[in-house]
Amino acid sequence: MSAPSVPALSLVDVDKRFPGVHALKNVSIEIMPGEVVGLIGENGAGKSTLMKILSGVYQPDGGEIRLAGKPTRFISAADANRQGIGMVFQEQSLLTNLSVGENVYLGNEAQFRRFGLVDWGALYAAAARQLEKVEVDVDPRTHTSELDFATRQMVELAKALTLEENAGGHLVILLDEPTSVLERAEIEILFARVRALKTRASFIFVSHRLDEVLELSDRIYVMKDGAVVADLPAAEANITQLHQLMVGRSLQAAYYRESLQKPYGDEVVIEAEGLTLGHAYRDISFKLHAGEILGIAGVLGSGREEVTRTLAGFAPHDGGSLRIGGRECRLRTPAEAVDNGVGYIPRERRVEGLVLFLSVAANITLANLRSLTRHWLIDGREEQRIATTWVERLKVKTPSINALCLNLSGGNQQKVVLAKWLNAKARVLILDHPTRGLDVGAKEEVYELVRSVTAEGVAVILTSDTLEETIGLSHTVLVMRDGAITHRTAALPGHKPTQVALIEHMV
Amino acid sequence: MVKRIFDSMNKPVRRRDILKGAAAVGAVSVFPAIISRRGFAAENPTLVNSIRSLSNPYHATWNKGGEAFAKSVGADYVTLVTEGNSEKGVSDIRAIIAKTGGNVVINVDPNDAPDARPIVEAVKEAGGYVVTQWNKPADLHPWDFDPNYVAHISFSGVPYGKAMAEALFKAMGGKGGIVALGGIQSNIPAIERKAGLDQALAENPDIKLLDFQVANWSETEALEKTNAWLTQFGDEIGGIWAANDGMALAAVEALRADGRAGQVPVTGIDGIQLAVEAILAGEMAGTVAWDPYWQGGMGLSIGYHAATGKFDPAKEPKDHREFYGTGVIITADNAQSYYDSNIKAEPELDWNDIWGRVSGQIQY
Amino acid sequence: MPPSVMPTSIARTGTRVMTLHANAAKSAVAVPKKTATRRWRLASWAPVIVLVLLCAVIAAINPNFLSFGNFVRIAQAAMIPLVLGLGATFIILMGSIDLSLEGVLTLSAVILSMLVLNGANANDLGLLAIPIVLLVGAGVGFVNGTIHVRLKVPSFMVTLGTWFIGVGVANALIGGTAIRINDKLVRALAIARDPVIGFPWGVWLALLCFLIALVIQNYTRLGRYIYALGGGEDLAALSGIPAARVRIMAFTLAGVFYAVGGILAAAQLGLGNSQIGLGRLFTTITAVVVGGTALSGGQGGVHQTLIGVLIVVVLSNGMVLMGIPPSVQIGVQGLMIIVAVALSMDRKMMRIVK
Repeated sequence: MSAPSVPALSLVDVDKRFPGVHALKNVSIEIMPGEVVGLIGENGAGKSTLMKILSGVYQPDGGEIRLAGKPTRFISAADANRQGIGMVFQEQSLLTNLSVGENVYLGNEAQFRRFGLVDWGALYAAAARQLEKVEVDVDPRTHTSELDFATRQMVELAKALTLEENAGGHLVILLDEPTSVLERAEIEILFARVRALKTRASFIFVSHRLDEVLELSDRIYVMKDGAVVADLPAAEANITQLHQLMVGRSLQAAYYRESLQKPYGDEVVIEAEGLTLGHAYRDISFKLHAGEILGIAGVLGSGREEVTRTLAGFAPHDGGSLRIGGRECRLRTPAEAVDNGVGYIPRERRVEGLVLFLSVAANITLANLRSLTRHWLIDGREEQRIATTWVERLKVKTPSINALCLNLSGGNQQKVVLAKWLNAKARVLILDHPTRGLDVGAKEEVYELVRSVTAEGVAVILTSDTLEETIGLSHTVLVMRDGAITHRTAALPGHKPTQVALIEHMV
Repeated sequence: MVKRIFDSMNKPVRRRDILKGAAAVGAVSVFPAIISRRGFAAENPTLVNSIRSLSNPYHATWNKGGEAFAKSVGADYVTLVTEGNSEKGVSDIRAIIAKTGGNVVINVDPNDAPDARPIVEAVKEAGGYVVTQWNKPADLHPWDFDPNYVAHISFSGVPYGKAMAEALFKAMGGKGGIVALGGIQSNIPAIERKAGLDQALAENPDIKLLDFQVANWSETEALEKTNAWLTQFGDEIGGIWAANDGMALAAVEALRADGRAGQVPVTGIDGIQLAVEAILAGEMAGTVAWDPYWQGGMGLSIGYHAATGKFDPAKEPKDHREFYGTGVIITADNAQSYYDSNIKAEPELDWNDIWGRVSGQIQY
Repeated sequence: MPPSVMPTSIARTGTRVMTLHANAAKSAVAVPKKTATRRWRLASWAPVIVLVLLCAVIAAINPNFLSFGNFVRIAQAAMIPLVLGLGATFIILMGSIDLSLEGVLTLSAVILSMLVLNGANANDLGLLAIPIVLLVGAGVGFVNGTIHVRLKVPSFMVTLGTWFIGVGVANALIGGTAIRINDKLVRALAIARDPVIGFPWGVWLALLCFLIALVIQNYTRLGRYIYALGGGEDLAALSGIPAARVRIMAFTLAGVFYAVGGILAAAQLGLGNSQIGLGRLFTTITAVVVGGTALSGGQGGVHQTLIGVLIVVVLSNGMVLMGIPPSVQIGVQGLMIIVAVALSMDRKMMRIVK
């Protein structure tokens, strides 16, 4: 074990670039033995990249990683493991079709080998000892699928702690959004374990929930735009202060094309009254007008994602009323949403938004092919004409309308998805994190598009990665917390609410 | 794709049950164990033919022979099909033995040579009678299981492969080039028949083997190979030797598409109806009939005679216990009479002439 | 609704590359544009190049390969795999698989042989038998699709079942014998030739099927939706595509193509028997995959399958012409599949290979 004065792990001037993005800008971080360090920042601030470098998935372009003071490199996740870096991920990495014990030693069964066969007795005995460390009273032979999420998270922790025996030195465990799927009581248990384990390991705790970061961490690093902007003891921090640090800049009216924000019309396209879905959200009421952008703000788990999923036809509501165009409806499938004039633009364009092996033209006409069909055949000339029109109007950069969507950049793919819905005469567009994964320039293009679309009378429901974007684009902002609307405000040009004013309703 | 399959497999059990049901329906229609009963005589043993399937003409005719014999003695008759599955073959036989309490005569074409041993042992234990044909291990002998293992019948491919080659050469006028279509490379009859062809070639230096290809008993493959030969050798091809009738008929069709059917002689082996008809039409030069009708009926008859005490297997000479049967060589000379007596009409066989077609003890 | 307000500022931003930082999943697919284009072209043209090279090599070793007679024979050998491949392509484009091909083909051939003038019964329906056989094919395909979609049974399992059922029914119909076809018009498909080029009429029938398939693929909603389903069922649903109906229609369509294959096979061999389909599945799937249609769906098409069929047929014709020993031939075919799949797959698109 290293002396307390030497950091268990430190990053010195770590730099990382991706094409078009400077993801990490000379980031320096230190974690002392037995310390819990919180790491916060908006999406895109560089947290994920940093975690990936620490877990050996990415290699830094510059700078140095030091383990107990000695320079080192993590060439792969397995290598990072060997050197004592454990990971507990937000998306749980346990294989639910295996037993708990098998999961704990997954990939490390070699130590239990007898004559080429796995000595299961020894493996389960060892797994039981690991589970004791995290005080989980579960038979290691239990099928993982039988455990609740909180227990699984503990098993993950136990799995990370097996590194103790292999790595020899002090462990550093990365906790990447470990609480996102847990209930409050479960979180308490997890935190208690983490505190108890501080004698054995240091922790890096990444979370969107600032209150939890404040509660668990000893010290907090704040990241923004790929750089560390603050390093402060948790005892001296408060939520408002952390948020200001995370957001950093004041609103940039020009960036969000506020000058193009036109007042919306009187026509109500969607009216929700007391909309409720199980435990996901309850009593949601709003009116969406033609040409209006309605931003929904809220942290992970606030229920805003579920509200958009309901409107897109993935998760039909089970209480309250939903009227689209004046007609009461319950959207049981995405196809029903489409029929009601609601288009959904998913965050994963490549997975859900576009058929990559179809041409730009075919994608644009996909949702409204019926209108192009004459005598069973698609009118090819008309299709080309329509596609050309949309490509020109939305300024899609493509070698030809017959090029495969596979070959388009992210921003242009986004435009093709938009063109598809405009062509299908959608009256409401649901934008689910529309700028995720886009760089600044491409984001600006999307903002332009959204403005021009609403100028045509299309209504938009927006969930965004950043509060800044939500405020900048929206006419109206709803703030959700724990499945309910806690605040609603107009966001007219020149009178945009501040982020801080909204955050107090979010957390 | 594969992933999708497994995803759907994780759906609730109800669907899987429907699937099982569907599979069972499929199994029933594909693997029919056809049981027909006629004439009930309590002291009579049940007669059982166990064959590969009813989907090939050869075994279908075998089954007809079995039916005919069963009718002649008024015994219960059961057909079991293995569909190429050894386990199914053996377990079906065990089931019928159990059902009949051992009062059974089984005539079996084992799916694979090793299957013969468990079948014979099961019959011996229950006190039934069994005759095997074509496949058995070389060290499994009827005289080691007296009296229950009555006999084993096989046919040597060598002399008939050779006879067909000679019929082909004769039709060609004794000289020229031939091409030859073989069966599955590792299959014993395919190897034997090819060996017969090789012998004939060695004795006829004026005949040249242009090329030998395996077509795996498949008509489609035979057609394709013959087509390629027509390109490669053109008029050099004076005759086509095929290791079975299906491939021979496919070769005839390839010739027909080329406008040469009837001009190039073709021989097959097995003696199926269409081949005999092709000989009559002058498009094939010969085939060999194993007479599966005889195999299906006489195999049962031999067992039946032993079971009913007409003879004691233990007292028979070894060439009555392990013998080669006699094939019927059919060429243009005798095709019409064979067709009239064996195909147009049900063959009239003397089921009591049990040793009439013995042509020598099997040599290993 | 044309967006009339469209500031000029959009034009200044050039083509952009997706950023990697925000989402781990995307890192697997973020390929710089140029590379992606080149990869795709290579994948698409590779089969054509392979075909040309193959022809060149065979012709160099045996000049007879280039003779007109052989040209016709290759066309003749390709007609059945092509028709079968067309049906299979639509299914594979959806990311499903159809194993019922041999069953439908066998059933069609046997029913055809029993309905036209034949050596076993007194029927003589002539060409009227053909629409009946096509309906049988469509029926089996419809059952495939309906069970697959409605009962949510994987296409692999459903079609495995109908494969056996098809062969089983054929067996039951003719009891293991072969039925000779004496109908002149049906036999003419394989034997009679057009007076201009000299192709058997069956080849022209296959080419007609190809054109129909091409039109369905490129100019109908069904064709477009099949691609969309192959690209992702979720996405297809998002665009309001009736996925279940499209799947059922695609399987029905495939059944019709297999039935045409059955008609051609019966015409070619001049008989119907229950072994007539043997080995067709392997050849067909090989041809489709070798042509560049990905088993993962969404990518490829019937035009690719035409090339794939020609590769498979030319190769098996050429191996005989080149005098390659029989024991090596089957191995070469296996090798070809692996190479073709390796060439055609865009590995960057795949995160997990199962």
